[in-house]
Amino acid sequence: MAHTQISMYLPPDINPTQAAIAYGCRALPKLNEELQSENLRTRQKALMALCDLMHDPEHVYQAIQIGCLESLKALLRDSNHLVRIKTTEVLCIMATHNIGREGFLKHNVVLFLSLLLNDPQLLCRLNLHQAYKHLAQLPQGAQGIINSGLIPSLVWKLQREEHESVQLLILDTLSSCLWEGAASEALDNRVVPFLKEMLLSANEDIRAKAAHTLMAVCVPLDGKNQVWQYDVIPILVHMLKDPMQEVQANAAGALMYATITTEGKYAALDAEAMPPLLMLLNSTLSKVRLNAIKALTMLAEAPEGRSYLQAHVPVFRLIEDDPNPAVQQAALTAIKVIEWKP
Amino acid sequence: MGTYTYTSQPRALPCQRRRYRDNLLQPDDEPMRFGNIMYDRRVIRGNTYALQTLPLAGQQDPLELQRLQQAKRRALARKRAREQFRPRTPEPVEGRKHVDVQTELYLEEIADRIIEVDMECQTDAFLDRPPTPLFIPAKTGKDVATEILEGELFDFDLEVRPMLEVLVGKTIEQALLEVMEEEELANLQASQNAYEELRSIELAEVQRLEEQERRHREEKERRKQQQWEVTHKHNETAQKIAAQAFAQRYLADLLPSVFGSLRDGGYFYDPIQRDIEMGFLPWLLNEVDKTVEHSMLGRTVLDMLIREVVERRLDMFEHKYPTPGNRSWQGSSGAMAGSVGPYEFQAPGTSPTQNSFLAKDYQSRPTPDRRSLERGLSQDGRGVEEGDPTGQSTDTGVKQTAELPDVWNSAQP
Repeated sequence: MAHTQISMYLPPDINPTQAAIAYGCRALPKLNEELQSENLRTRQKALMALCDLMHDPEHVYQAIQIGCLESLKALLRDSNHLVRIKTTEVLCIMATHNIGREGFLKHNVVLFLSLLLNDPQLLCRLNLHQAYKHLAQLPQGAQGIINSGLIPSLVWKLQREEHESVQLLILDTLSSCLWEGAASEALDNRVVPFLKEMLLSANEDIRAKAAHTLMAVCVPLDGKNQVWQYDVIPILVHMLKDPMQEVQANAAGALMYATITTEGKYAALDAEAMPPLLMLLNSTLSKVRLNAIKALTMLAEAPEGRSYLQAHVPVFRLIEDDPNPAVQQAALTAIKVIEWKP
Repeated sequence: MGTYTYTSQPRALPCQRRRYRDNLLQPDDEPMRFGNIMYDRRVIRGNTYALQTLPLAGQQDPLELQRLQQAKRRALARKRAREQFRPRTPEPVEGRKHVDVQTELYLEEIADRIIEVDMECQTDAFLDRPPTPLFIPAKTGKDVATEILEGELFDFDLEVRPMLEVLVGKTIEQALLEVMEEEELANLQASQNAYEELRSIELAEVQRLEEQERRHREEKERRKQQQWEVTHKHNETAQKIAAQAFAQRYLADLLPSVFGSLRDGGYFYDPIQRDIEMGFLPWLLNEVDKTVEHSMLGRTVLDMLIREVVERRLDMFEHKYPTPGNRSWQGSSGAMAGSVGPYEFQAPGTSPTQNSFLAKDYQSRPTPDRRSLERGLSQDGRGVEEGDPTGQSTDTGVKQTAELPDVWNSAQP
């Protein structure tokens, strides 16, 4: 009679680091119990298994239903760093799913996660910030982060953090939150000087993301005033000549918002913003063209700008044939503003 | 030597002669027999200069043609007839069929010749020593056999197929899912980026328009303010001018009217005339009044004298001839004094003592008849006196009349 077990040795692809996943709907409850066990190894193995399972959104839903988040929250305070790293990884994977994000907000996970902001482990912080970044992409998630009062700590962290990958993630999170209206808090915490330093950093990703965040900062009036006060506008004009297109696009976008106020306009005109912006009109990325056209439109509101740009109206006429309809619209508006007579 | 091309390739012509008697069912697998061109009538041999020209194909003599055809047909018919009479195997009986049967398995050619086969034998050349055969010892022990029935052994290939399919399928499915997920995410990200761009552009546009609106509004407010001030000033100036013009006109009228009214009021006076009016004429009138008064006084005095005389005469008369009618004279004197009294009443400021004195004297004998008589008498004098409106004359009159009672009183004993 054949045996079900063919050989005495385990099959080669069983992972000894993972807990055995029970069949069907028993998988998650069993893992949940293992998470709460006293044995360190059990907890670790359960976490590894959970990481694998959380890629499936149905499992995420079930996990939240049975209350895995509570056990995970308890594990965040664990002393073993592997446990913490893995827990943050699980939470990060859950945050990639919408159900996970909603579960975060309902169970107030954000606040518990913030306890780990100063964790010595880099991986832990990386996962943490990645979870925040995913959460912030949802408007309610961003609101949740703002309501937990995390913006000041995030801004402070921005300056303190040495690792650029973490900085990138924090910048992403901040920019998403700022779009949702955390601007006043952030401005109170001196976000503009920090961003100004980052604009001059060597890493082009950081520059691009910092410019993007600055764009979000410039949306409310306070932000515009602060940006003008801290003399960020000349730096932005300088960044227009950056070789990387993403940086150019974001710098043009930030300028576009900053030059809405009259002081901003004149600061930009003093910094000779118009020739680089005109050069950007020929760029290949549509975002760059769009932001450049809009920034030029803002500058054309001022009389000096208008007189300078009247010579360049043919360039705008050429852009009207652009395939992107938004660019066409923007070019038409720009021409209208330039040719406006009081 | 150039190449030569044939219109029709040279070929060996087949012979039309048939060797064997032909079946009506002509088999085609006989070998083609080619005719010898030496004996072919179509090939012309010998002298070709004087040939009997054959009639061209198709243009044979029709008669000959017909004859030939007929001959052919007749030959064919004859052959068919001959065929019919040839002995054949009889037809099969009813219900049976003729079948060809081969009696021997192999065909044998009947011949006299004996089949001879040459055989040889030769020893081989030196061969190599063959290898020693494998030593298989004799079998010892028991033979044990298992019987494997149909279906106990599994065919690995057959069995592994579904498992492999599942494994590979699941892996590929998972991979596909992940790839699709990534693609979806990338698409979502791209569309989100596009939306984000549009949103930021729209927001910037909105803010710019807001700002523009605000600036325009402020400018408008300022201009409106300026304009309002200008119009206000304009209005004020116009009003001032109007007021000035009106005032001028009014005052222009005013001056003559003022002058006129002043003149009418008597403020512009010729000083001489005034002086005359003020000084001279009153004095003149006073003097006239005085004169008239004097004359009046004279008359009154005369009257009184006459009266005195008359009364004395009356007294003397009455003394002589006393009558009850005497009292009337006294009454008349009283009435006369009473007529003087009204003069006193007219004049203001006469002393009440004189009045009472007079009244004491003359009102003791009042009679209406005599008073009316005296009134009639005095009315003439009064009429004269009343003509003079000036107060001075009355005063002088009063003074004079006041003097009178003293005269009268002194006159009376």
